[in-house]
Amino acid sequence: MLSLMGLVMTVAVFAVAKRVYKRIPLLFLSPLLVVPTTLVVILSATDVTYGEYLAGAKWISNLLGPATVAFAIPIYKNLPLLRRYALEIGLSAVLGSATALLSSVLPALWLHLSPETATSLAPRSVTTPVAMDISRSLGGVPTMTAVFVIVTALVGVMAGPAVIRWLQIRTPVARGALFGTGAHAAGTARAFEFGDVEGTVASLSMIAAAGATLVLTPVLWPLIGG
Amino acid sequence: MSAFKKLSKIGVQVGILTAVSWIGTYLAGRFDWPVPGNIVGMLLMVLLLQTRVIRLEWVEAGGNWLLGNMLLFFVPAAVGIIQYKQLMMTSGGRILLVIVLSTVAVMVSTGLVADQLARVREKGGSGNA
Repeated sequence: MLSLMGLVMTVAVFAVAKRVYKRIPLLFLSPLLVVPTTLVVILSATDVTYGEYLAGAKWISNLLGPATVAFAIPIYKNLPLLRRYALEIGLSAVLGSATALLSSVLPALWLHLSPETATSLAPRSVTTPVAMDISRSLGGVPTMTAVFVIVTALVGVMAGPAVIRWLQIRTPVARGALFGTGAHAAGTARAFEFGDVEGTVASLSMIAAAGATLVLTPVLWPLIGG
Repeated sequence: MSAFKKLSKIGVQVGILTAVSWIGTYLAGRFDWPVPGNIVGMLLMVLLLQTRVIRLEWVEAGGNWLLGNMLLFFVPAAVGIIQYKQLMMTSGGRILLVIVLSTVAVMVSTGLVADQLARVREKGGSGNA
């Protein structure tokens, strides 16, 4: 029974937070921010370890597998769009992946963060399963990377609309590419709020960025002294 | 459709998607591919839909449910920050600074380049650039 506690607690807090956010859609009430914070407070107050929590909560994480497979559905439905915007999506993914890697690792080292932290930051801009795999292969800490991926999602969802306004980015394909490359799945969800083309391009960009990061990281890593 | 019927439909469809993700994970491990199993599963799923081995209506409701609740599946990993209390105390501010700077850099570079490309193409007229 105790083993299910993490599962029940997470779903309950998420359900409440989602309802509150629907009523009062303020940025700092975003479930992505509120739910983990609430759970961290509860765990700290009750002296439940992360391992004990995860015994039940891992069943939720396990759904990331089928959820990633589910991205096949919008892709399949929009294959013509993919063909039409292949150049924009591909180029954004390559450029964005290189930018993400360099602008994460180099400033981290300049700010005297530990090599372990800098390595774990390297793949932070792609979707969690890919980011954790890359982190492991570079010698980072995958669970730490998972946290950085979530923070990236949160920052991206907030920064994206501001970047679009600031740079006056009008084409839907560019808006989608920026969200999908910069803030993976959460950014994709935000892009769908702009429109269907934005959302679809974002989901394709997210995947392309994951692919580009997988290919580029082993190439760029030795250049930045990894 | 009753709530129960709808729920069991979503359950079965999530089951199909889970099976495909397992097959993807198996293939990636079996042949030692550098691509994560879930991504292999996703590409496999596009192929299965394209070849009509799996029909869209068999997985669409379950898929939409998964994508709509995506944020929930990230939560347990995010709670993992609790393991790094010490690190967050000493370096949390600097880590956040790096993530903010880098995320904005990625969005600015990709947004500008994609926007320029799209505009050049639009000016090209027929769009077969």
